[in-house]
Amino acid sequence: MKRGHGETWDPPPASRSGEGPSMADKKKVADDNNNNNMDDELLAVLGYKVRSSEMAEVAQKLEQLEMVLSNDDVGSTVLNDTVHYNPSDLSTWVESMLSELNNPASSDLDPTRSCVDRSEYDLRAIPGLSAFPKVEEVFDEEASSKRIRLGSWCESAGESTRSVVVVDSQETGVRLVHALVACAEAIQQENLNLADALVKRVGTLAASQAGAMGKVATYFAQALARRIYRDYTAETDVTVGSSLEEVLQMHFYDSCPYLKFAHFTANQAILEAVATARRVHVIDLGLNQGMQWPALMQALALRPGGPPSFRLTGIGPPQKENSDSLQQLGWKLAQFAQNMGVEFEFKGLAAESLSDLEPEMFETRPDSETLVVNSVFELHRLLARSGSIEKLLNTVKAVKPSIITVVEQEANHNGIVFLDRFNEALHYYSSLFDSLEDSYSLPSQDRVMSEVYLGRQILNVVAAEGSDRVERHETVAQWRIRMKSAGFDPVHLGSSAFKQASMLLSLYATGDGYRVEENDGCLMIGWQTRPLITTSAWKLAGGGESRR
Amino acid sequence: MAGSEEVNLIESKTVVPLNTWVLISNFKLAYNLLRRPDGSFNRHLAEFLDRKVPANANPVNGVFSFDVIIDRQTNMLSRVYRPANAGPPPSITDLQNPVDGEIVPVIVFFHGGSFAHSSANSAIYDTLCRRLVGLCGAVVVSVNYRRAPENRYPCAYDDGWAVLNWVNSSSWLKSKKDSKVHIFLAGDSSGGNIVHNVALKAVESGIDVLGNILLNPMFGGTERTESEKRLDGKYFVTVRDRDWYWRAFLPEGEDREHPACSPFGPRSKSLEGLSFPKSLVVVAGLDLIQDWQLKYAEGLKKAGQDVKLLYLEQATIGFYLLPNNNHFHTVMDEIAAFVNAECQ
Repeated sequence: MKRGHGETWDPPPASRSGEGPSMADKKKVADDNNNNNMDDELLAVLGYKVRSSEMAEVAQKLEQLEMVLSNDDVGSTVLNDTVHYNPSDLSTWVESMLSELNNPASSDLDPTRSCVDRSEYDLRAIPGLSAFPKVEEVFDEEASSKRIRLGSWCESAGESTRSVVVVDSQETGVRLVHALVACAEAIQQENLNLADALVKRVGTLAASQAGAMGKVATYFAQALARRIYRDYTAETDVTVGSSLEEVLQMHFYDSCPYLKFAHFTANQAILEAVATARRVHVIDLGLNQGMQWPALMQALALRPGGPPSFRLTGIGPPQKENSDSLQQLGWKLAQFAQNMGVEFEFKGLAAESLSDLEPEMFETRPDSETLVVNSVFELHRLLARSGSIEKLLNTVKAVKPSIITVVEQEANHNGIVFLDRFNEALHYYSSLFDSLEDSYSLPSQDRVMSEVYLGRQILNVVAAEGSDRVERHETVAQWRIRMKSAGFDPVHLGSSAFKQASMLLSLYATGDGYRVEENDGCLMIGWQTRPLITTSAWKLAGGGESRR
Repeated sequence: MAGSEEVNLIESKTVVPLNTWVLISNFKLAYNLLRRPDGSFNRHLAEFLDRKVPANANPVNGVFSFDVIIDRQTNMLSRVYRPANAGPPPSITDLQNPVDGEIVPVIVFFHGGSFAHSSANSAIYDTLCRRLVGLCGAVVVSVNYRRAPENRYPCAYDDGWAVLNWVNSSSWLKSKKDSKVHIFLAGDSSGGNIVHNVALKAVESGIDVLGNILLNPMFGGTERTESEKRLDGKYFVTVRDRDWYWRAFLPEGEDREHPACSPFGPRSKSLEGLSFPKSLVVVAGLDLIQDWQLKYAEGLKKAGQDVKLLYLEQATIGFYLLPNNNHFHTVMDEIAAFVNAECQ
């Protein structure tokens, strides 16, 4: 009997008539699928990418794997400890397990086989966490009877997905949201008189709305008002603006896990990439307060065989006269490195825009160093000027890094239509504010400053235009397309990073709604089912060594 | 041992389409990795491997969805699926607009996963729930219940009960005809088991449930039935893994005579005289626990309850996950008829 995966296996009941696809239709679909190099449509909907032409081969590998595992329990234990990557790519996943069982990684002898989960990243090295007691409990997975975590897997960039989480309580403020959306619609239709009336109404409603919704609405109302009156001015003094920004980001770092997650997962990818390097050079495209690096240095220090030397090039905004905060930061980090016993070198680079950077400025040492480029919330800003992102990515390519780690907001705030951007941003920041609201045990100053930090982003997304509008967030699906066409291939983050990121989150017992999830090799952190921040990693396409 | 394993693999391959075989074998493989012999569960790896999808307020194929935190304190979440109207996609304020119809069925859905796996936003269940909306013209509320082994009996039942109450008292879900919510309970595997137990509670508390839909429901008992012996390991499932999941779900120290596992066993209460909802019980002929499922249907019948048994001889577990076989279409038709019968 010919086997096509569209065929059915029983004779249809005699009473059925014309319901569902006929045998002939199904067979045709099966033949079509076999002839194309297309992914099986039915499995794709369920999150698995398997080419129709490879289906039989994947089945065979599954069978092989079952054979091997059925012989004893050892195989299962081994696979529990290995690092898994990108489960959507079934063929590669099964293949990697087969080769793991056939050639078990010997963790001490060959550190390039990053398959064994060593979980050596010490979460206590993360700044801010030292205040939290009971670190040991983190490693007990079964300890909690917490609510299960949900994550979500976003669709491809082609279709927009509007992921909404509603909190069913008095707090929702339906009238408030109605007024906000109506105001934005009025602006979209250029009916500014109506918009003005509505924005005042929003202000009134927001003032009497408790909780996150009231705060979000207030920021959105202020932004809408600025847009109506064309009253957006970018801060002319870049140095003032950026140092305020850094302070605010520090509070954001302290008050919620998003930035810690971002740093943590980026560092995981970096650690894997530099596993055998003796000299490591990291270019941080936005040094800020350098919060990401102490933890990385500590992890490097713990490497069996001793740490590599660590060189950091930190990029920051132009410096005020008579001050060099970049250099001061470098000194602080040097101090930390010395305490860790890590050989350290620092250089600060001031640039008004990342597109001003040229490869020579980094003074790379390709013969001796393994180079890493790290970007947290920096890339989207370059989308405000035509050609900027391409220039930067070319510069990055020119220095030939082993890995590029990218952290970006998971939202499309860069659509052409204002109303669409507005709606996206409303959903996004509602979720963010919601999650801040939950952290009851925090000092309120942190929370307020975090809200101000986010409020500035809201203002920019809603009221700014042209080169002033720098908060041009895009989804990872969109970034994938950009990075691919710029000549980069993805580097997958695996189950080990996922697990440790999850454990990191469990330290925030009060904020129980945080979720980590895996999406086609990237890791996302979100609130409830809404992903908010994505960490991805990249390498130069083609050539170069591949880790897996 | 290797020889019989080979035979099993070949046998299961002859009865399902190849892509179904790949899908279910993939789950089988992953689940084997996650269950540890000491009874613990690799939850991190489970969450990493599970393919999930976000809710989508933009209609796709006539259905849109959104997530609701029903209880902020406990993060109790459900995913709501609704038929889309013609016209622009619903804005955030439209999501809980009153349902539009004289009689609109609301299906409270409990996903499967043997009490330990999957979530309301797992891709396989998001897909299934979307189908149910179109099929029955229904609103579907998929419950994200707490899972074993971290949360044993009765957590899943409690969560189901909480959502049932929420659904029952949500004014926007009331049908125009009688200002009441027309509720059905549906679920597969462990979800089917939850359906039965939540229905029991509903009956005791006076909440009206119009019908129960149980797809390959998960039941068991201490004895080894004939089907368990005959089909052990042959079609993706083993008696050993079934035992593991019961040990993970039931209170520690309990055995499979516990009424949660064995609703018509020696320790369970009689259903005679209760106005239990009518039931549609779907049994796959290649499911090794079918004897327990048949016993369930039989038990309902003996207690004077209205039950329709749909026995699909050549079906394996998970046949309803992909629309590439006749069993799938048969079952979908039966479900539609079952729900629509109440909506005349």
